[in-house]
Amino acid sequence: MIDISILLQIIWTGFAASTYAILFAVAFSLVVKVVKVWNFAQAGIMALSFYVMYAAHNKFGVPLLLSVGIGLVATIGANVFMDRYGLQTLRNRNSPDLTFFIFTLVVSEFLAYFLAMIFGTEPVALKSNIMSGVNIVNGIVISNWDIEAVCVTGVLLAALYFFMNKTHDGQFMAAVADNPELSRFYGINVTRAYVITFVITGLLITAGMYLFGTRASIIPNTPLQMMLFAVISTLLGGMGRIFGAAVAAIGLSLIQGLSIFIIPSQWQGLILYVFLFITILFFPQGVSLPKLKQLLSLSKKASPAQ
Amino acid sequence: MEYFISLAVLVGIYITLSSSFNLIIGFGGLVSIAHPIFFALGAYTTGLLAIHFQTHPVLAVLAGGGVAFLSSMMLSLPSLRISGDYLLITSIGFQLGLLEVIKHLGVTGGASGLGNIPNVVEGSYRSAVFAVVSCSIAAVVVWMIRWLLTGPYGRVITAMRDDELAFSALGRNAMMIKLSLFAIGSGFAGIAGGIYAYYFQYISPDQFEILQSAMLLTMVVVGGMGSQWGPVVGAVLLLLLPQAISFLNLPPSVMAPLQGVIFTTLVLVFLFWRPQGLIAPDKRQSAKDA
Amino acid sequence: MSVLISLRDVCKSFGGIVVADHISIDIQRGEILGLIGPNGAGKTSLFNLISGVYPADSGSIAVSGQSLDGLNLHQRARLGVARTWQHMRLFASMSVLENLLVAPRNYPGEKISNIIFKPKQTAAANHAVRERAMGILKRMHLESIAHSNVNDITFGQQKLVGLARALMNDGECLLLDEPMAGVEGNAYETMKSIVREEASSGRAVCVVEHNVSFIKDLCNSAVFMASGKILERGSVDSLLASKTLADLYFGA
Repeated sequence: MIDISILLQIIWTGFAASTYAILFAVAFSLVVKVVKVWNFAQAGIMALSFYVMYAAHNKFGVPLLLSVGIGLVATIGANVFMDRYGLQTLRNRNSPDLTFFIFTLVVSEFLAYFLAMIFGTEPVALKSNIMSGVNIVNGIVISNWDIEAVCVTGVLLAALYFFMNKTHDGQFMAAVADNPELSRFYGINVTRAYVITFVITGLLITAGMYLFGTRASIIPNTPLQMMLFAVISTLLGGMGRIFGAAVAAIGLSLIQGLSIFIIPSQWQGLILYVFLFITILFFPQGVSLPKLKQLLSLSKKASPAQ
Repeated sequence: MEYFISLAVLVGIYITLSSSFNLIIGFGGLVSIAHPIFFALGAYTTGLLAIHFQTHPVLAVLAGGGVAFLSSMMLSLPSLRISGDYLLITSIGFQLGLLEVIKHLGVTGGASGLGNIPNVVEGSYRSAVFAVVSCSIAAVVVWMIRWLLTGPYGRVITAMRDDELAFSALGRNAMMIKLSLFAIGSGFAGIAGGIYAYYFQYISPDQFEILQSAMLLTMVVVGGMGSQWGPVVGAVLLLLLPQAISFLNLPPSVMAPLQGVIFTTLVLVFLFWRPQGLIAPDKRQSAKDA
Repeated sequence: MSVLISLRDVCKSFGGIVVADHISIDIQRGEILGLIGPNGAGKTSLFNLISGVYPADSGSIAVSGQSLDGLNLHQRARLGVARTWQHMRLFASMSVLENLLVAPRNYPGEKISNIIFKPKQTAAANHAVRERAMGILKRMHLESIAHSNVNDITFGQQKLVGLARALMNDGECLLLDEPMAGVEGNAYETMKSIVREEASSGRAVCVVEHNVSFIKDLCNSAVFMASGKILERGSVDSLLASKTLADLYFGA
């Protein structure tokens, strides 16, 4: 029998750990939605973000919050630079999708190697002591990090929701996401929408890397591996649904945490990949109720002998 | 001297890999970066057959190619059926997922790799023999790809790349063609894997990670996608490059990432400055490149 | 005269937009049927439904009595449904002749097993295809540009090449989507006579066209479509004389 308190603990910890994953998933999903690019360069920007904060705080002794600020500026700068001079050039040339992909992937690879050259490949974290204070609530361990993570993520998501739905820029972004040509026709500054997208993404990434970096240590390659999670969340959540991606991220995180009950730990790493396959095969447009019903009825039709 | 001979073995292997990768991504237009996993499948199949069954090396290498050929369909069938764009993500997942499996299976030696692959060439000329075999296979593969692409089939592939919808409306099964190209390219990678396994007698999962994908991408992009000799040039160039910087006498911890920095910078430079690569596409100049 | 293409109650909508509203129609062998109507009437969508670019939501489509339901684009082409495209969609990397060489529905010369094991047969098959392609080009007076890249020829010539490519299919159905748009002079006359020849040799031809004189010149009968529905079918003259239809067309 599973001890209920262990179950709750795993759920809570999984939920708290999903916070930074949510931020990365939403960032990735937002770029897919508005800019229509599978931005694998995000992994490189994530690494850059972390290492700038790390360098400022741990190498130059800058206080943590200020380091985060510096990291934020650097991240947003890098993001916007990549869009203005990288993606825009490819857009101007009407490059095929393959070129966009190669570009974004290679940017991430470049940054990973570059950072490895400077910082080496020993795992490092933002805080020398990644253990934060703990509080025990009803038998469940809730660390201060957990609380901070949930709050930061919650505030950012709420702000994003407000921005997307209540501000002009947010609505312009939605219009560009829907139809860039038409938006341009109506006088919407498409370039500005892209820049704002990357500014927001930069913010989400920096926050996410701050949270992750205060809880665990990373090497330059770590963000690349974390990208898979963001990609699957985006797929599951549905194209163009950034909050769907957020929900998917929570779901995946919980499933990963809870799977310890059914799958031996050595195969835990495989779960994400299995999910990726299932998602692509059955839910290429994202999980939605009509699609689920369609699949269920299809399987019912298939069951009786042909 | 020995050093250059073993470099020749690698050159042969990588020419095979980059040419077959170009067949898939450059000519077939299939955005998959999972080529290293088929390289791995060939290597592991050959290695395991050699260790446990003492299979004849030619058979073992061919088996490696066969396994790679067939398993490519595990990736292509589901993802091509849905939509070409998803192939990319699925390929990354497929490559990393299979590597996860390999890392946790006992029979493959897990994360520490598969060693003690029997030596099949005795004597002081071992490296030379391997070099000849490796380069001959590379030559055969390049020639076979060339033959495939310059005949009527090459026309078919070009038409498919130019406009798949119009192509299908002519009665052509584009998916079948893509599956075939993918399988053939992956099969060649598997054969390269077999040679690799026999030469180094030790293989491990981390030799087939995304770094490999990046290397192959670099060879193809820098050499010239969509040209037959491009990947050959790319492979030779990129294998000689680390040798060129090795005289800088940097510590290994800087050396490895520095190579990566150079590879990736090269790709970026070429992507923006000379997208067609060193060797421009063949006589059928794509009007879109203009 | 037998019925070649038959649609029964075909419906299709995208989101809220109905592009086909219970369409039922028969097209006979030897007939040249014109499809006219305002923009957005669903004419090209009808072609897409017949050729299989997307499946119908409901209803059935058959060619020579054989149902096309469940078959996709390339399967229907192999059954003989050939079409041209509004935006031509020629293969930009290749020459005129090469565009035609990849177009037949049967291509024994390209099967790898044949190339290896039956080289003589393969060579003969390739030769036959080449002959046929050059034959079509000669009919269109285009032999001289056979080896030019399709981007280097005139617009009118490109349209003729698009038609030639569809003819290589040598199936029984020919769907022409705005073949004459932007074409004049010799190319116009050539296209007209070719289409007539094809119809009289037993094909069913269906043409979407805005060029009214072409419709009058060429089509035996026409169908007026609007908002996904077939409003009227009859001789071209009677349709063009109808005031209600004229209002719909020009008033739209």
